Amino acid sequence: MRPEMRFAIGLALAAGLATSAYAADDTIKIGAPFNVTGALSSLDAPALNGAKLKLKEINDAGGVLGKKLELVIYDTKTDPTVIASVASQLINQDKVPVAFGFTDSDSVLALGPIFQQAGVPFITPGATSPKLPEQIGDQVFLACFGDNVQAAAGAEFVAGKLAGKNVYLLRDNSTEYTTLLAKYFEEAFTHNGGTIIGRDDYKSGDKTFTAQITKIKAGAKPDVVYVSAMPDDIGLIVKQMRQAGITQPIVGGDGYDTPLLTQVGGKASNDVYYSTHAYMAADSTPGIQKFYTDYKAAYGMDPENAFAALGYDTLGLIADAITRAGSTDPAKIRDAIAATDGFAGITGSITFPKDVRVPAKTVTMIGVKDEKLFLAGEVKPTFIPAP
Amino acid sequence: MSRAAAFVATIVAVAVVAGLVAILPQLVNDYIVRVVIVMCISGVLVASMGLGNGFTGVFSLGHVGFVAVGAYVSGILSLSQAAKHSYLPDLPGWLSGITLPFLPATIVAGLVCVVLALVVGAPLMRLSGYFVSVATLGFLIIVNVVLINAVDFTRGARTFTGVPLETTLRWAAGWLVVTVIVLARVVYSPTGRRYLSVREDVIAARAVGIKVLPARLSAFTLGAFFAGVGGSLYGHYLGSFSPASFYMAYTFALISMLVIVRMPSISGALVGVVVVTVLSEVLRNLERGLDFGAFAIPPLYGASQIVLGIIFILIMIFRPSGIMGDREFGLGRFVKRKRA
Repeated sequence: MRPEMRFAIGLALAAGLATSAYAADDTIKIGAPFNVTGALSSLDAPALNGAKLKLKEINDAGGVLGKKLELVIYDTKTDPTVIASVASQLINQDKVPVAFGFTDSDSVLALGPIFQQAGVPFITPGATSPKLPEQIGDQVFLACFGDNVQAAAGAEFVAGKLAGKNVYLLRDNSTEYTTLLAKYFEEAFTHNGGTIIGRDDYKSGDKTFTAQITKIKAGAKPDVVYVSAMPDDIGLIVKQMRQAGITQPIVGGDGYDTPLLTQVGGKASNDVYYSTHAYMAADSTPGIQKFYTDYKAAYGMDPENAFAALGYDTLGLIADAITRAGSTDPAKIRDAIAATDGFAGITGSITFPKDVRVPAKTVTMIGVKDEKLFLAGEVKPTFIPAP
Repeated sequence: MSRAAAFVATIVAVAVVAGLVAILPQLVNDYIVRVVIVMCISGVLVASMGLGNGFTGVFSLGHVGFVAVGAYVSGILSLSQAAKHSYLPDLPGWLSGITLPFLPATIVAGLVCVVLALVVGAPLMRLSGYFVSVATLGFLIIVNVVLINAVDFTRGARTFTGVPLETTLRWAAGWLVVTVIVLARVVYSPTGRRYLSVREDVIAARAVGIKVLPARLSAFTLGAFFAGVGGSLYGHYLGSFSPASFYMAYTFALISMLVIVRMPSISGALVGVVVVTVLSEVLRNLERGLDFGAFAIPPLYGASQIVLGIIFILIMIFRPSGIMGDREFGLGRFVKRKRA
């Protein structure tokens, strides 16, 4: 085939797709860009599955404003160029009045400015950087707590339940999430009277942590080691620390919330605690229990992590906002989201304080005992460091 | 083609592009415009990659290294004062004090890449064949490691964000036109003939008095300039990026666009960009599933990459010289070419 022909056919196909918009007016379209494939699929795919579960529930119950909801799903492939294209596709082609997606701040940063410019609200179920809304603008909301809140909860948990006064702080200095989490933890922990007796850094992807471990053992003995880590590294770190004889509790953030912690760590993962969005187990709160069984029935497996529940809650939050707005006008939906007060999600109650687009939520602390997760506590921190 | 006719043809072509750029946003929605912007940026990058890789036969895998340098240099230069204070507090004073507009920042980014290409290319361009590919791949890895570790300048592996979104269709298309004109002037000149002779037979080229190193180095350096420019366009299109955005995956995406049509040709590179971009966009939309009423295809996320891979394999098997074969695709079709 001549290249010109190929080009023409390709263009015709693209144009056809562009105009064959699902013109059905009896549904409310909600944009759902997620990294279903690529590096972030282990977090994004569960979040999308959770949202689909909520979609079915809402539509079975009659929908919103007398209309059924429809998810406009795109796989953004963990690729910023695709994310930018999808963002404008959602706005200009599908004309969604609101969208939600992603579990990491990089993806939200790639999409956010385009939504901000168009004046269409966007909620992220799982990107926990409390700086995101301020970095992008007033159209961006978090459905999860910010890292400042979970770090503060971790700090109060260490000082309270673990009775820790002296903490050694180890962080991964190669990502935004881990550096900020460590910074917030230090602020909250020292504010509450604790002491950071030592600190060290490593980089995500490192395979041996001997240098860092030697340094911990050389200094004064800490009560607790706080490790601000990414999901891929924490199993290895815990394993090597335990082998080197560091038996103190190891505490961290929601990066620990993957099956990798117990799979890679094995026995070493005992006495590890982390802050996360929900305790995903059959013996959790009634809301999570129902979600747990429904998820298993729908997908044939247990929910992979708390992001599944966050995806479920985010769509619920959007449906609630559309109902209160009484309209599908993006500006009215935005204002309704901002006015959310006490939305009862399964990951906790969601309230947006005035002019703050990160919700005040309860943080779940999870511990590991006999290589199994257990609910170690629910913390609503009293002092929260500024984002 | 006579000089005057070629000049007129170029003017007409530029006018047509300018006209298209002016009316396109009125005709189609912003999504299509964005795809066209990405095509223009890829066009700049692939055409400049083709200069060294296609015309002088030095198959460099380090092109994306220059793209990364271009994106970061222009990003640091064009970040606003406020953004610099919050994202790059440890930037040296002389850098944190300046904020350049888009155009100068882009040109400076290109020039930094030129200097870098001269330094890197002087030793590397003496190599041939597989050796130069591996050595330039080493350059790409070094750039990546430096970007991750030069935390004061690049925020390390963290996202470099806050870059103003300046890359409009006009800028992207404008730079594409400049790139194509400059590359075409070089390639279809005595210098370009020297490149080809160096590629075809190094010893024969030397025998007729052509210096191999200057030929290869000049192509490498010119390619690096436009790689830096393209990097700046890409950075100002995305607004936020990280070292991982400019690594192996991007390298092979560009190479696939370069080799799928026909390598030693500027027009071929551009057709390759269009074919690959349109194919991947169409497939990406198709994988979401189709509903024809009578029967429906469920969504199969990830299928687009697989289908694209199979198409590449089929092309390489059945048309190893690329889908355009040895045909050229240029203004000569519309202006009568003077046969030599």
